[in-house]
Amino acid sequence: MTVSFRQARWDEPPIWELAPPGTLEAPPAIPGVPERLRRKAAVRWPELSEPEVVRHYTRLSQMNFGIDTSAYPLGSCTMKYNPKVSEMLARRPGAANLHPYQPEATAQGALEIIWRLERLLGKVTGLPEVSLQPSAGAHGEYAALLMVRAYFREQGESATRTEVLLPDTAHGTNPASAAMAGFTTREIPSKDGCVDVTALRAAISEKTACFMLTNPNTAGLFESDILEIAETVHAAGGMLYYDGANLNAILGITHPGRMGFDVAHLNLHKTFATPHGGGGPGAGVLAAGEKLGPYLPVPRVVKSGRKFRLDYDRPRSIGKIKTGYGNFGLDLRAYAFALAHGEEGLKHVARRSVLNSNYVGMRLGKFLPRPFRPLVKHEFVLSGAPLKERGVRTIDLAKRLLDEGVHAPTVYFPTLVEESIMVELPETESRRELDQFVAAFERAISDTPENLHAAPRSLAVRRVDEVRAAREPLLSWKDLRAHGAKAETP
Amino acid sequence: MSRWISNEPGEEAALLQALGISSVDELFSDVPKKARIGRLGIAAGRDEPEVVAEIDKLLKRNKPLSEFATFLGGRIAPRYVPAAVDAILSRSEFYTAYTPYQAEASQGMLRALFEFQSLWVELTGLDVANASLYDGATAAGEALLFCRRLHEGERFLVPASLPWEEKSVLRNYASGPNLKVEEIPYDDRTGRLDLDFVRSAVGRHDVFGVLADVPNGFGHLDEGVLDLKSLLGDVPLVVAADPLALSVLEPPGNYGADVVVGEGQGFGISPSFGGPLLGLFACRKEHVRAAPGRIVGATLDADGQRAYALTLVTREQHIRRSRATSNICTNESLMALAFVVHASLEGPRGLASLQTSLAEKARTLASALGAVDGLRAPRFEAPYLSEFTVEVAKGTAAEFLDRLRRRRILGGHSLADPRPGVPSGPERILVAATQASGDKEIQKYAKAAKIALAAVGRNA
Repeated sequence: MTVSFRQARWDEPPIWELAPPGTLEAPPAIPGVPERLRRKAAVRWPELSEPEVVRHYTRLSQMNFGIDTSAYPLGSCTMKYNPKVSEMLARRPGAANLHPYQPEATAQGALEIIWRLERLLGKVTGLPEVSLQPSAGAHGEYAALLMVRAYFREQGESATRTEVLLPDTAHGTNPASAAMAGFTTREIPSKDGCVDVTALRAAISEKTACFMLTNPNTAGLFESDILEIAETVHAAGGMLYYDGANLNAILGITHPGRMGFDVAHLNLHKTFATPHGGGGPGAGVLAAGEKLGPYLPVPRVVKSGRKFRLDYDRPRSIGKIKTGYGNFGLDLRAYAFALAHGEEGLKHVARRSVLNSNYVGMRLGKFLPRPFRPLVKHEFVLSGAPLKERGVRTIDLAKRLLDEGVHAPTVYFPTLVEESIMVELPETESRRELDQFVAAFERAISDTPENLHAAPRSLAVRRVDEVRAAREPLLSWKDLRAHGAKAETP
Repeated sequence: MSRWISNEPGEEAALLQALGISSVDELFSDVPKKARIGRLGIAAGRDEPEVVAEIDKLLKRNKPLSEFATFLGGRIAPRYVPAAVDAILSRSEFYTAYTPYQAEASQGMLRALFEFQSLWVELTGLDVANASLYDGATAAGEALLFCRRLHEGERFLVPASLPWEEKSVLRNYASGPNLKVEEIPYDDRTGRLDLDFVRSAVGRHDVFGVLADVPNGFGHLDEGVLDLKSLLGDVPLVVAADPLALSVLEPPGNYGADVVVGEGQGFGISPSFGGPLLGLFACRKEHVRAAPGRIVGATLDADGQRAYALTLVTREQHIRRSRATSNICTNESLMALAFVVHASLEGPRGLASLQTSLAEKARTLASALGAVDGLRAPRFEAPYLSEFTVEVAKGTAAEFLDRLRRRRILGGHSLADPRPGVPSGPERILVAATQASGDKEIQKYAKAAKIALAAVGRNA
């Protein structure tokens, strides 16, 4: 079956053009507020009716892809279907209408959900000490590295253990988090897409605080030398960090604890199907073994007798990394997902996602070279380099795919592959969806260079000029006003 | 097995056959035997009605705010969320989308985020806003690091009255580059910042930034913030502002703020036990390349039509790696959408009128509690909007709040740092006027407070 696709194309003006801004007169004075502190002119924003606002944002929504409209094969992003039941549950008053500062006695259910999910994730990761506090994966990485730093400070080694090692395939957040936590970073070159253990041995030293690794890695490959890697890192006195972005492929097969990792972050918005919200919110769980467990953020949720409470008595804790206890609304969704799947279901998630990516990898390998071994886990990488002979680049192929009504894969990452294309189609994609994606890919790659360059044509806008966006930044309505800019005359 | 995964008979077999293998197990041959696990040791899966029943059973053990007369506040404000906000948030083209890397397929979200950025710019009087950070506290943390990129030094000044959670978050953000967070004392009568302290600290030339919050951690307004920048010279000023308060207060950009951060939960986002929240960040245009987080810009498409894209990405982790301005990747985009939808439903007049009516309630509440023997309400002689600090002069704040809770009143929250070993300080609580608590609830609070404190007297 061929999917024929035309995205809605509303000539919808920005919200401030729907109506003139309301009166710019100063808002009424509030008794006691000193004159100098008062706003002298009302906020410049239009006064609109509810139907106008609802239509405006509904029209905008129609110019956006989501996992509910199409397959979303973004590598390393694990775009799986987000169960509707989780949305319903997260909106229950007993979940949505709770304040983090209300007394523990009035939030026993919420505390129990957090406690249960932490225990469950402790089993899934093999790292029993869990905190749900981080807002996202990168936030979890950062907190974990602060924990590593606190640990070495207590060991009297903070002056020497200043370096974080990572493979050249690492997600950009890894080196960025390490730098924010005060470490210098050093990249370990890969060999055939995996960590070159010889290079790791050569680089590791008494300066190494931590080695950050994603397994399976961003090339989609399982790091089969993982036990040797763990031994190498530990022998040098360093910590091994697990980036959980790709956990989906190994649920119930292996886990970070068994592989020798000391601390991990998970992305509930990937593996546990909480929706990604057009860029967020996420939920980045921290899981630690016994060495780093005491350093987790406060509070921890503990069970005393039949009651649940927040425990702040953790003298080694790094303290707080955000207000509250984490993105509870997402924790609840993730817990519903985990309850529904259970032991066998989670294992099936891994098996089916790996089956899907190997199948699609095999099919697409007929069109473009696969730079690494064919046996992959959650995702696979293609190189769009041969397209250049036709004057076409990976970006053109990605844009042409959008015209098929499917989202594009992750492109130009990992950077060690020229013109790379990273595809992940998790377990919630049926065989029919996979075949449709392959057919769309085939139509796209077989199209003429002219059509590929001209893509997309079926969306609300044509190819977007990102160079201009960066060169002449127009970042708000205020900027547009300053440039005297209206839609047609920038 | 859940129906979220296709389970059509013969489907797996066909996929295996295409791969020329007989079992999915073969696809895991690269996982060494010694790294395998047996069972996870978690319960078997359940069908959808069972999941709903189980979660509902747990949720029944919670008492939502609607069961109480509620005076809880702080950075997280339990406000009414118009039904239209959730209707828009429930558009699955928005909530099931990923980060808008493919601009052409994501114009809807990009447009909404551009509108959100524009609104925060209008509220703050600055030039540029990003597309969100995790929450107000982490936005303040990012602001600290941002200031250090603009100015040399090793100390960052924050009010001693800042909520303890934010101080803790800030100390974490400062710890990476070995920076120090130092507290600005406040006047005991008014809660106002000690500007002489700021002046002399800045004079020592090792301060790289100063943060002030509006309203402050006690819920009060401090006119002194208007004069801060004149003491700082080129040292950056960060103002952490409540977005609703900015509908009636002078935009911080007008009095020299270089950065304005805030917690955006109060617009369109239910409190959800503390998350997801919404971190707000705005700065001046000349500093945008030092700013953290994703930013949406307006540009053109190949036909010369207006289009939007993520921009200035060379600041970000996926390009700049260890030299990025921040590690943030996933942010709070959907919450940013909630913010701009709610604010647009209210309009400037609606926002100002909501703030005005909360302030009026807060004054009623203050006079009711001020009349209670054993409470100092408000504790500080300073103006306020929706909230203020109360000092419990008899017994402890914790006992007081607990007694109220038993009468179905959530009377505020203790300002003390709950970590053992941290001096607990005076018995203070932050009390907030909320939409749901009218005159009747306020009188109920005052009456219950009297009874609660009289009981303390008897026990003593």
